[in-house]
Formats: sequence, C-alpha cells, structure tokens
Amino acid sequence: MLITYLLITLIVMFGHLEDFLGAALLSRPLVLGPLVGLVLGDITQGIIIGATLELIFMGNIKVGAAIPPDVITGGVLGTAFAIMSGKGPSIALALAIPISILAEMVISGLFVLRPMFNNSFNRYAEQGEYKKIEWLHIGSGLLKPLLMGLLTFLALELGDGVMKSFLDSIPPWVQSGLQVAGNMLPAVGFALLMNLMFNQKVAAWFFLGFILASYLKLPMIAIGGLGIILPLLSQG
Amino acid sequence: MGFEDIPDEPAPERKNLVTRGDLRRVFFRSLALEANFNFESWQNTGFAFSMIPVLRKLYVTKEKMAQALKRHLQFFNTTAHGSTLILGITAAMEEQNSQQDDFEEESINTVKTGLMGPLAGVFDSLFWGTLKVIAAGVGISLAINGNILGPLLFILVFNIPHILLRYNLTFIGYNTGNKFLQNLAKTNVMDKLTTGASILGLMVIGAMPAILMPISTPLMIGTEGSQVAVQSILDQLVPRILPLALTFLAFYMVKKNVKTTWLLLGVLVLGFVGSIIHLFA
Repeated sequence: MLITYLLITLIVMFGHLEDFLGAALLSRPLVLGPLVGLVLGDITQGIIIGATLELIFMGNIKVGAAIPPDVITGGVLGTAFAIMSGKGPSIALALAIPISILAEMVISGLFVLRPMFNNSFNRYAEQGEYKKIEWLHIGSGLLKPLLMGLLTFLALELGDGVMKSFLDSIPPWVQSGLQVAGNMLPAVGFALLMNLMFNQKVAAWFFLGFILASYLKLPMIAIGGLGIILPLLSQG
Repeated sequence: MGFEDIPDEPAPERKNLVTRGDLRRVFFRSLALEANFNFESWQNTGFAFSMIPVLRKLYVTKEKMAQALKRHLQFFNTTAHGSTLILGITAAMEEQNSQQDDFEEESINTVKTGLMGPLAGVFDSLFWGTLKVIAAGVGISLAINGNILGPLLFILVFNIPHILLRYNLTFIGYNTGNKFLQNLAKTNVMDKLTTGASILGLMVIGAMPAILMPISTPLMIGTEGSQVAVQSILDQLVPRILPLALTFLAFYMVKKNVKTTWLLLGVLVLGFVGSIIHLFA
C-alpha cells in the first residue's frame, strides 16, 4: 500500500510541476485521472473520472488574479479514494470539490508568503549574482510540488481507512443525489468560460453551437470544424 | 490600452550578439515563468530567469548585469503561453541597450508593461477561451466513455499549436519587435484573429451543455391516469433546454461576481436537493 501511496503522491507532485512545464495542461484531471487509474489498476475508471472532473473544473483556469480551486490535489485524491473504495465519478467529485478548495487555501498562503524572498532576489540582483537568482527561482518554485506532495501523502496515509468506511456508509439516495449534482456542475465551468468571451456581437455563435448539438446531434469534432469554417466564410 | 499606444522602440542599429541558441534557451526557460508566482510581484522572477541567457551574453561587467537583473525583477504578469513574444522583444531591446550608451533604459520596462496587458487579453482568449475549450470538448466527449484517446487528443490538440506558437513568438519578437504588433494593429488582423478564435470557442461551449450535461426532469403533470412527462414536452420544444437554462443561470451568477467556490457549492446543493425532491434526474 505504501508504494501505491507514494506513486499517487508522485502524480500530485508531477501535476504541480506544471509551473515548470509551461502550463501545458498536463496537470488537468483528464490527464492525471488516467495516471491514478493506472496506479490503482483500473485505468478505464481513471479516464472516466478524469473526464467527469475535467468537465466540472472546466472553467478552473488561472486568468489574472484569481486563484482557482486546486484541482490537482483535489482531483487526484478524489479519484484515488473513489477508485480504492470501488466507487464511481460522483463520489470522486464529492471529494474533489472540498479537497480542492482546502488545497487552494494552502496555495494562496504560499503565494502570500513568497514575497518574503523578494528581498533576497533584489539583493542578488544588486550583486549581479544571476546564478543565485536562478537557484532561488527554482527552489521557491519547488516548494509548491513538495508541500502539496507532503499533504497528499499524509491525507492518504491517515485518511484512507477512515475514508473507506465513511464512503461505504453513504446511502444510495445520497449517491444518486451526488450524481445529479455532478451532471449539473459543468454549468459553472461553461459559465466561467462564457464570461471570458460572451458578448452581444458573438452571442449568436454560442446558440448556433447549441442548436447543432441539441437538434442536429452533431458530435463535438464536427462542431469544432464548423467553428473554424463558418467564421472564415462569413469574413470573406 | 491598445496596441497603437505602445511606445516605439528605437530604430534597430545594432550588431546581433544574441544567437538563435540563446533565444531557444529563453523559450525553454519561459516554461518556468510561473514557478515562483507570488502575490506581490507575480511572474517577475520568472521573467528575469527567462532573460538570463540573453543578459549573460550582453553584459559582462557586474554593474551592468546588476542593473539588468533589477530591471527584470519588476512586477510582471501576462499569459504564460504567449510570454515569449514579450521576452523576444525585450531581448532585442537589451541587445541595443548594451551597444548604445544613450539608450533610455526605462523604455525597456515601459514597453514590457505596455504589452503585458493587451497581449494577455489576446492570448487568454486564444489559449484558455479557444484552444483549451476545443481540446477539452474533444477529449472529454471521448474519455467520458473510457476511451484513452480522450486524454491523448486533449494534450495534443492544445500543445501542438501551443508549443509551435510559443517557440516561434520568441523569434518573431526578437526579429521584428513592436513593428510586428503595430502592423497587426493597423490591419486589424489581431481583431479578426481574436474574434475568429472566440467564435470557435463559443460554438464549442454552446454545444457543451447539450452534449455533456445529461440533466432531465422526472416531473409529471396532469391528473391521475392521464399524466404527461414534462421532459417529453420540453424535448419537443427545445431539446436539452434544462442544461442550457442552468448554464445561463450560472453565467448570470458569474456576472454578479459570485465567487467560484460558492457557485460550485450552490450548484452542488441545487442538484443534490433537486434529486431528492424529484425535480431533477
């Protein structure tokens, strides 16, 4: 079991290394979910849970000053606990949401504390010591993966037994309630994305996408293709 | 502030000291732009970290190096994926500064801070609003059935354009500088690109409630014996109207500045209670 916990901890740390990997989406639930599934011997379940969480945390992106819930720690732990106790996506999301909110607070705390290093950065700059700046940048950057890795390992080590018996005691009506909530939650993500782009000038395209999917039942790839072709045609 | 207002960079009369290799190193280091993200000066140390390969080439004396490092430890924040454009432009300006005694050093940071806002607007909507949305739409619709192609396509659809753009923007920034952006602004290419990208993103988002939110209502109306399912009436009018309505409800809340955390919890409760009282299924 220890090996499993360590591997899951490594997945969380890999997720948080996104800060060094150019925000290339490698930290998203749709990528980390299958990895957790792989470690726990049920990759299909990992993919399905990853897709469900990706959907719910769709608008969970770092734009401007907003620090979103930490879907890396929350998503991986939620997925791991759900698979380990033989539960599905609805349990994973019920765990992922509160855990990711708690983890976000820890990370915000780190972002508040990091300016303490700025004195050192400025002193090194004054001395022209660029090597020290490089190392401090990397070292401070590694704090987040290390801190969240430690918390993940503790959560697994201390929480697994309690979590299993707790999850087993959840009655079916709670589970079906969670499932409905889970199907509804993507609305938040869609809304956050709309907030980025929706205005009267382009609103019609949103409804065109909806109609193509709801009435004509076109798959997503076809709608994406039309989304490229139609604006090209209309702009001449 | 639009792209028209970006201050002119001085005419490039300089020897090329910065090599392609240096710029390639800037690109690789830009991947760690946000490693030391903090609430005081944001991506500042990441910017300095990314510029160091260029600064090392240009400034040999300790004093010059110190000034350059301090310059790039100022507040900085932009979309990480497109940051290489500003890094490239800055590299060109630093190169000129290193060879020209009367170069106004403040202009480097003026250009940086002038660009980071407008470019974040463009690149946020391009990367987060469009590429990420399409990658997620395609990836999720496959992965929700357990298909491993889902996560793989998700990574590729986003990162092939991401890496190509991020890499080339370093060189475009270095070689053409602000002229590139000013020309784009004059010809409205940037506007067209942003509009085109947001149209694509919005069409995919519009399709998402219909495809990816299996919400319906088990409500029945009518008297005992001749009951009609509300859902079948809705389906005849507008199929998938419930997910669409919920999405707009959430959008309204976002517009009202309700915090995401509360919104998530609110919808969680709405779905949960709705299921218990048999309003939603």
